[in-house]
Amino acid sequence: MAVSQEFKSDLLGSIPSLRAFAVSLTQNADKADDLVQETLVKAWDKHESFQPGTNLKAWLFTILRNEFYSQMRKRGREVQDSDGIMTAKLAVHPAQHGQLDLKDFRGALEQLPEDQREAIILIGASGFSYEEAAEICGCAVGTIKSRVSRARTKLQEILRLTSDGEYGPDAISAQVMGKPAA
Amino acid sequence: MKDMTKTSAAAASAAKRQGASGDPLGPNSEIGRKLKQYYDDLVSEEVPDRFAQLLAQLEQASPAQKKD
Repeated sequence: MAVSQEFKSDLLGSIPSLRAFAVSLTQNADKADDLVQETLVKAWDKHESFQPGTNLKAWLFTILRNEFYSQMRKRGREVQDSDGIMTAKLAVHPAQHGQLDLKDFRGALEQLPEDQREAIILIGASGFSYEEAAEICGCAVGTIKSRVSRARTKLQEILRLTSDGEYGPDAISAQVMGKPAA
Repeated sequence: MKDMTKTSAAAASAAKRQGASGDPLGPNSEIGRKLKQYYDDLVSEEVPDRFAQLLAQLEQASPAQKKD
């Protein structure tokens, strides 16, 4: 069966999301685009296994994610450093007046293990439900929930947010900056 | 357009979660906000031509079905 025009245009429309997810996984723009390319080729080849009316984005994310992990396995897991080295390297300064810098945030995100990073991205940014994320990652809903929770805790630690939503300089730096300490 | 339904379904599910109170990654959470900002920046990046070219090549290899 030939690929329908609708499928093709839906694929085109999904590329921005696929690239965002790929960058989130690989933390590298070139690798991300190669990954998206592989994903599109695979999706094209197996378009018949996609059921029209179901969530194309979730289907594509699943393909992309599988491709990412199979590439990592082939390369013998050169990628991840879940604890330690990078954490030590990157010291984030306390955010000024609650304005957490996006660059610092990106650095913190990089330090998460992949499973936690993908979970928090799927749930917190890509707009998937826990059920959809679990399907994409091939795991239980509870696993996604716990990964998201651990990712969030770890981000808070790295970014030294004492508790999320309650950020800002401590009393001393507040005085230095001329703001009355609360 | 047919594909609008899928897009709006995804948007609705995102909106539903954002609207939920006590959402640890919702708009009241600094991490939730940064996460969206980080991701939205990525999504809004311009897509390189290579992808449209790739799909055109794939289409040539197995021509797309004309619907009308």
